[in-house]
Amino acid sequence: MDTSSIDRRRLLLGALGAGSLAAVSRVLLPQDARGAVAAADPVGTGPQKAIALAGTDGWVSMPANAPADPPFFPDPLAPSPFNTYVFGFRDVSGLSDTDLAAQRGKAQISAPILVFDEEDEITLSLYNLGLSQRPDLFDGHTMHWHGFTNAIPLFDGVPELSLSVPVGRRFDYFYKPHDAGTYMYHCHFEDVEHVQMGMTGMVWVRPKQNRTGVNGYPVGTKYAYNDGDGSTRYDREFGIILTELWSAAHYRDAHIQVSDWTDFDASFWLMNGRAYPDTLAPNGANSVARPDGGLQYRPDLDTASGRLQYQPNSSHITCVPGERVLVRLANLGFQDHSLTCDEIDLTVVAEDASLLRNGDVTNYQTTNTVNIGPGESRDLIFTAPAVGDYFLYDRRYSFQNNGGGAGYGGMMTQISVRPSLPAQTQPNL
Amino acid sequence: MTSSIPAKATGRPARASAPRFPARRRLLATATAGLLALGAAVVAQSAAHAGSSPSEGIVCDTAVNNTFTLGTRTGSVSTPDGNSIYSWGFADEGAGHGFQLPGPTLCVTSGDVVTVVLHNTLTEPVSIVFHGQSGVTANGSPAQPQFDAQHALTSLVQAAAPPDADAGVKVGSMTYSFTAGSPGTYLYASGTDVNKQVQMGLFGALVVRPKDHPHQATNAGTSATFNPDHEYLFVLSEIDPDIHLAVERGETPDWSSYQPRYFMINGRSMPDTLAPNNATYLPGQPYGAMVHIQPYSATNSAPALIRYLNAGTENYPFHPHGSDERIVNIDGHPTLGPTGQDLSYNKFDLNVQPGQSLDATMIWTDVDQWNPSTNPIPTKLPAITDQLLVGTDTWFSESPYLGVKGNVPTYITDNNQCGEYYHIAHSHALQQATNYGATFGGMMTLYRIDPPGGCK
Repeated sequence: MDTSSIDRRRLLLGALGAGSLAAVSRVLLPQDARGAVAAADPVGTGPQKAIALAGTDGWVSMPANAPADPPFFPDPLAPSPFNTYVFGFRDVSGLSDTDLAAQRGKAQISAPILVFDEEDEITLSLYNLGLSQRPDLFDGHTMHWHGFTNAIPLFDGVPELSLSVPVGRRFDYFYKPHDAGTYMYHCHFEDVEHVQMGMTGMVWVRPKQNRTGVNGYPVGTKYAYNDGDGSTRYDREFGIILTELWSAAHYRDAHIQVSDWTDFDASFWLMNGRAYPDTLAPNGANSVARPDGGLQYRPDLDTASGRLQYQPNSSHITCVPGERVLVRLANLGFQDHSLTCDEIDLTVVAEDASLLRNGDVTNYQTTNTVNIGPGESRDLIFTAPAVGDYFLYDRRYSFQNNGGGAGYGGMMTQISVRPSLPAQTQPNL
Repeated sequence: MTSSIPAKATGRPARASAPRFPARRRLLATATAGLLALGAAVVAQSAAHAGSSPSEGIVCDTAVNNTFTLGTRTGSVSTPDGNSIYSWGFADEGAGHGFQLPGPTLCVTSGDVVTVVLHNTLTEPVSIVFHGQSGVTANGSPAQPQFDAQHALTSLVQAAAPPDADAGVKVGSMTYSFTAGSPGTYLYASGTDVNKQVQMGLFGALVVRPKDHPHQATNAGTSATFNPDHEYLFVLSEIDPDIHLAVERGETPDWSSYQPRYFMINGRSMPDTLAPNNATYLPGQPYGAMVHIQPYSATNSAPALIRYLNAGTENYPFHPHGSDERIVNIDGHPTLGPTGQDLSYNKFDLNVQPGQSLDATMIWTDVDQWNPSTNPIPTKLPAITDQLLVGTDTWFSESPYLGVKGNVPTYITDNNQCGEYYHIAHSHALQQATNYGATFGGMMTLYRIDPPGGCK
């Protein structure tokens, strides 16, 4: 690697001097773990960010041509054009109290993508709007930022070890992320149920390197990590969260029944809350760009997306030959998945928000199949090949269907390489 | 024995009326109160203290000349929802121990010649495969797959025959021997009728330590040094109670309907994973799984070591909250590059595959140094009435600050002692974090982070 680069280890050991560095160069110190004290800026020194999420319930649509599975699917209680009951989060930042209250019963899946910078000081207000279909339940909700290192219990969202937000109340979580990467979030209240019902989303933390540039690449170049050499730079960025949907459980929640979660038996396999071919449909029609780089969707105002109204996140990947494309993967399902792209080499540069590098030793993996288990994340970079369409899909063919129906479904999306495209202004566009 | 397994559940009552294991939790609270009564005396003992059994962390069985005698036993496994499941297990006869799940943790040193004498008391052949060990012999001959007259595989290795009353043989026997290989964590398990015998509980862990460096996880130098007072073993497994019931009744199990309902760490499910080693109310499940540490600091710089071992049939995606873990060893192979580069890596979810072991180091750092006077949290702790504390127990201190304890409502059992932090660690295949579908159970434990200096 370029000797002019500053790698994290040297930065950490700088105060000890070169002699100490030489003496310990082959010793991995625990402080090389993410979140090391020396790397952290203290609270009070970072940009303030505020975001508000609401937890509630609602209705969405699995592919309309999936075979019926009476009485579970399509759910007879579902208002047209929907067929499946869900819980979910909504981004309610900036809404008036009246508008906020009106979001009850209007959950989306997958949850809003949250995008931050390293050292942001984030106040995340979580509102519990209750369940419009199930007013008999007094379930709390919480925010668990999965993978946030050195968390304290109050902000980690496990109700048995901290608290949960009752119906009609709000709690303000605080996070100061010190480590870039691809994370995820979910409700941890009766997690097996609330996660399955749809309270899952992604969190991305952008590296400081985005603001400084490195190795001759100009400021404004985008990187996935503080790689020190530009190896994680990219031109376009897409995020895909993987989950499964068990129709019987969703039906039971809508119909005042209970599920034995050890009977879990997936009916649909989802990317960003949709099953193929819905994975290719565009993003939701009503959104505003947030100053923090994310998109706030208002599916309640989206009159154009029909049955996908409350599933605003597309998984379609578009790029131009030669571009470097970052794909952030997260899995909050209950199953392992093997995402395959037959004709494009994928370089895995990070797992679980940790760059695959240890000091000076880089261990990126180039592959065509990426295995990702429940709760894991991966960052993939590929160089867009010749113009054409390529599939990214779960190689487990028994998952490649919708409700057991004929034809392709499940976790499958397309990488469409086109001669030219507008510059990407927002992820997943 | 008479079956005490209740009829298979067809559904649970509505949540609002379902008790959340009150009896078990009261008992757990009693155990916790006992720990409180001990106060500062509750200190994890060094695993190096041969002969004594620590109340926390790994329990090691060692043996003179590394010769162990393991006998098969039958017994019952208690689950937090009140089930009692007929099971089989290996017992350390040399230590005078009885039935246990998982089997005894055998601790040896790399390069030692290890002998394991297997005594079979069951009515079918039993064997032991030492996964990851090479050059194993059985009664002096190379351990080899066994076939019957029709060339059907009967066992992965030579087995101990069942007792034969007609021949006056009370206990079948087979003696295995091997030289302990690379340092790490390994599975030993029956190699005979493996589906059934491993499911019934015939498995355990072998821990191989580096020669001359017992407090390193590998031979890869000091990069895998750990604090021996904070060494933990997580043997991960699953139980299908219907299979166990069929075996108990002498029926043929129906493997086509195999469906695990209980998910275990060291043979226990949450909240029993929190009970100390050798808890008296879990006589057949001697090993706890709570991790108990203090924050990383200049004077507390050696990490904890957690040895993960998957004795089941599914991947177990284990997710510790609040800290990453650094994988330094996989199946006893250090995570090194071809020229010795340190390729260890951080994970916030350790996806342990069937039969696999992962050795990981772990620290928790008080990065933000929240302090009520000098650095208060920027948000407000709500009034208790706005907190929706869950269930009949809490581990919350009612304070954001490490070492500061607030007041918990009197109707909730308070498991927090001095303002210590608790983080959950659990399988993220979330149905594996349940007890027969009931949430906050299964393959789940807590990581306890005491303030510097510990609870006084």
